[in-house]
Amino acid sequence: MNDSPLLAAHGLAWAAGGRPILGPLDLEVRAGECLMVVGPNGAGKTTLLRLLTALLRPTAGTISYRGRPYTTLARRELARHVAYVPQVRPASVPLAVEEVVLLGRYPYLSAFQLAPSARDFAAVDEAMARVGIEELRRRPLDELSGGERQAVYVAGALAQEAELLVLDEPTTHLDARHQREVATLLLRLKADSGRTVVAATHDLNLASLLGDRLLALRAGRATACGSPAEILRSEVLEPLFGTGFEIVRAGERPVTLLQLGP
Amino acid sequence: MRRLRPRSALLVLGAFWLATLALAPLWGSHASLFHDLLRGEPTATTIFWQLRLPRVLLALLAGGGLAVSGLGFQTLFRNSLAEPYTLGIASGAALGAVLALRAQEAAELLGLPLVSVASFAGALGATALVVGLGARGRRAGGDETSTLLLAGIAVSLSCSALILFLQYMSDSTQTFRMVRWMMGGLSVVGYREVIWLLPWVAGGSLFLLALRWDLNLLLTGEELAASRGVDLGRLRLRVLLATSVMIGTLVAMVGPIGFVGLMVPHMLRRFVGHDHLILGPACLLGGGAFLALCDAAARTVMAPAELPVGVLTALLGGPFFLWLLVVRRKV
Repeated sequence: MNDSPLLAAHGLAWAAGGRPILGPLDLEVRAGECLMVVGPNGAGKTTLLRLLTALLRPTAGTISYRGRPYTTLARRELARHVAYVPQVRPASVPLAVEEVVLLGRYPYLSAFQLAPSARDFAAVDEAMARVGIEELRRRPLDELSGGERQAVYVAGALAQEAELLVLDEPTTHLDARHQREVATLLLRLKADSGRTVVAATHDLNLASLLGDRLLALRAGRATACGSPAEILRSEVLEPLFGTGFEIVRAGERPVTLLQLGP
Repeated sequence: MRRLRPRSALLVLGAFWLATLALAPLWGSHASLFHDLLRGEPTATTIFWQLRLPRVLLALLAGGGLAVSGLGFQTLFRNSLAEPYTLGIASGAALGAVLALRAQEAAELLGLPLVSVASFAGALGATALVVGLGARGRRAGGDETSTLLLAGIAVSLSCSALILFLQYMSDSTQTFRMVRWMMGGLSVVGYREVIWLLPWVAGGSLFLLALRWDLNLLLTGEELAASRGVDLGRLRLRVLLATSVMIGTLVAMVGPIGFVGLMVPHMLRRFVGHDHLILGPACLLGGGAFLALCDAAARTVMAPAELPVGVLTALLGGPFFLWLLVVRRKV
């Protein structure tokens, strides 16, 4: 593995109408690691992810992928290296599962190509197998449960064959069983595929389970960055979220319990 | 409803299109047209080759262009009610035509009637206005797609108001011509209109077909599309330009014919699915056949008088619109 980071951001900042939303912050993501971004609502988590996927252009600072600044990479070229699974998606997508996953091949498809190549179909099959949704292949996306849909979008991102996977709130709006399904899926991906993952989440236990490192954001600034054991401590979490936490240990990893009630 | 396999659906539509091309010219008054034609009777030959066949070809082209444009708009705006007529392009064209009718009806420009040139200019002008307003909305930090949609509706309403004003200010002969023009019609003699329309409809449709991956990806949301390399701004501009040039020429040749771009893509999605690689050509074939059949019906229901085909499509379109609102979910 190369020592230089996969992704490096320096002095990264984004402001909307002169109002600073994020940064300035420095960030390095190493190949193969899983970085979980945590923080309260409005901390700038999604903004950070949108900057990392070039959906937003930074108002200050630079981001580079393997030493190449984003400004020198065409969108489609960047999409071959960085895949995104957004949180907000259309309520209805009138396509079958296979069609949605195939659209992950967009960065490789040309306008003059009548049909996707064998290489594209192989990538789609592999992505669906990895996520375990082959049997859903022909089902309309709109008929699936929230967890299954999330898996389909992750498969689409895998078919993109990007080294870096950026996920926004992968388990939000899912019930316990589907949260578990998605968490298991992400754990398996991390173990088998060697992909680098950056994900934002409100679920501190998911962050603890998946994250090699956790980045704590508050009001657009990085307040802490470190291993789950370093971040999931009441000294870090209470000022971050402005509420009390109880931390227990489940084997190796810390588990947070939100203190509710008077 | 079960979807047909896309390829067989295209074959069925292709066969339907060819059957329309072969049979629609024979349908109508002059019941013995087919026999007279076989006997080489001169009146029948003239009716068939100079009136009926060019008219059916024009309907096939115009209907196809309208349906393809409607499809492009519906995907671009993720809105099942978007079509060139809800978005101001056709109203711009109509305003251009009405202005020309008010000014100097008989004049020609570049060998074409001034009315045609003016309606083409009106379509492009309306598009430029809508795109400009959309870009302004984006700079102000708004959602560009909804800004474009609202701008289109505003431009459409403004053009309609100006048309009403011009009609009120005109004498009764002019007003009658304006109203008649706005009903749309496919009465042509010879192939001039067909030849004018062919490259635009073919070119515009091919251009939109080349964007099929982008349009398919757009179905999964703008954010995902952008993250995979779709330049949303450029895609919007390309789709708007291709459709407005197509609609501009179309309206210039046949007048505003509404609802085809709304109805045909919706009907076809039920049979062939949403993949634009199939749905695009399906709209081109299905839209053409639909308009040709509507026109054949419009020629015959009140024979010997002729109903303008735009009146017929509007009569069908209103209830369809309601059905869409009540029964169908979005896109």
